Amino acid sequence: MNASRLQWASSSPALSTGLETSSSCSKLGFVNFRGGGGGCGDSLKTKKGLFVIKAMDVEGSRTVNLNGHAGDSDKNGSLLSSIGNSTNIQWHQCSVKKEDRENMLKQKGCVIWITGLSGSGKSTVACALSGILYRRGKLAYVLDGDNVRHGLNRDLGFKAEDRAENIRRIGEVAKLFADAGVICIASLISPYRRDRDACRALLPAGEFIEVFMDIPLHVCEARDPKGLYKLARAGKIKGFTGIDDPYESPLNCEIALRHTGGECASPCEMAEEVISYLEEKGFLQA
Amino acid sequence: MSTISNSTNIFWQECPVGKAERQKLLNQKGCVVWITGLSGSGKSTLACSLSRELHSRGKLSYILDGDNLRHGINKDLGFKPEDRTENIRRVGFIVGEIAKLFADAGLICIASLISPYRKDRDACRAMLPDANFIEVFMNMPLELCESRDAKGLYKLARAGKIRGFTGIDDPYEQPLNCEIEIQQNNGVCPLPAALAGQVVTYLEEKGFLQVE
Repeated sequence: MNASRLQWASSSPALSTGLETSSSCSKLGFVNFRGGGGGCGDSLKTKKGLFVIKAMDVEGSRTVNLNGHAGDSDKNGSLLSSIGNSTNIQWHQCSVKKEDRENMLKQKGCVIWITGLSGSGKSTVACALSGILYRRGKLAYVLDGDNVRHGLNRDLGFKAEDRAENIRRIGEVAKLFADAGVICIASLISPYRRDRDACRALLPAGEFIEVFMDIPLHVCEARDPKGLYKLARAGKIKGFTGIDDPYESPLNCEIALRHTGGECASPCEMAEEVISYLEEKGFLQA
Repeated sequence: MSTISNSTNIFWQECPVGKAERQKLLNQKGCVVWITGLSGSGKSTLACSLSRELHSRGKLSYILDGDNLRHGINKDLGFKPEDRTENIRRVGFIVGEIAKLFADAGLICIASLISPYRKDRDACRAMLPDANFIEVFMNMPLELCESRDAKGLYKLARAGKIRGFTGIDDPYEQPLNCEIEIQQNNGVCPLPAALAGQVVTYLEEKGFLQVE
């Protein structure tokens, strides 16, 4: 239940209040409000002395929800409480929850973690996936390992501890995006099992969807889209994943996108496999 | 397509779905609302109220504050206790970079942190192109913040149990050119809902709450 909350100061010469409407309510009652003129908001401005506002009590707490305007009378006409001049009503924090955002977006936030060798097609599938989701009216965001290394992770290199930190930060950011209700697609080599599992552990069960680009090294190397394998073979890059640094395949990924026979499925076909998974698990609706 | 950046092996990957498409989907423009001010000045309260107000208008926002960052991404930044200024700078940098990503995703990102140094806030502003950085200064007097002392920190700071506490023995540098300044009216604090309304009006006027 998402009742919005009203915060107001105790009544004083400068009584002021803001009114928020609530999306749902459980009970109705009245608050007997003693106020002076000169306050800010709305219809209360013209009222002096005693007046009645439609109020909603939430969970018996000290917070009182207000709905509507002063002067409305409820069918019951009963008084809920009396608030005198010296009453101190607590300020209450209220926040929009993940569920609220998901209802608004008509989707569920999650992290799709695409892992695999350089050249295995991670970014390509990530882009294809974001395109399909967009056309279906879903909000997605791609955190590409390379792009993030230009910004948030620009202070990191490629030695083991920097890779781990790179992955950790992306995992934390992806978690925030998922909490915001976004379908966050992280696309990075992330070669070590331990680091990927640590990211998985950040999220509630089921919200971390590991997608393994299961493409053999020789296929990736033949593609060599950035010319990196060539440099690595020539010894010009050290510690390059697949050449002189290990890639640890996932043991329990949710989706493995494979290279079958001599043919590779197109990025769109691979993306559709991920879409089917998301659909089945209910991520594409609130 | 990708291009090599300088001498690194890091490329820039481009995607057909960009910020413009996402903004169209959400019918809003991504931006960062950066709420700065002393501890207890009401930053988190405003952030919550603003988020609620935006949500009620069907706009997607997200709050970045100490609560969701301290135990997460900022957990192991290797803070050295003696280098407080540097730690503050790094927190500002990380929050700024994350906020930038959220704005790029099309969200209205509400960052709520003391951020006491002008230079660090200006660095965050510089990260965001197209005037998408909206600085909101909670200009509340120290006495008021201290009297609230919601987390008991001022008391500890006065007792010397916390060193370098902003407002007590570390400076807060007021913004010189913030977009919105929140102050008391004749000694009375405006309500969070009213303040949220003020920020929403600003966003509306500047065209953030719709896409033409």
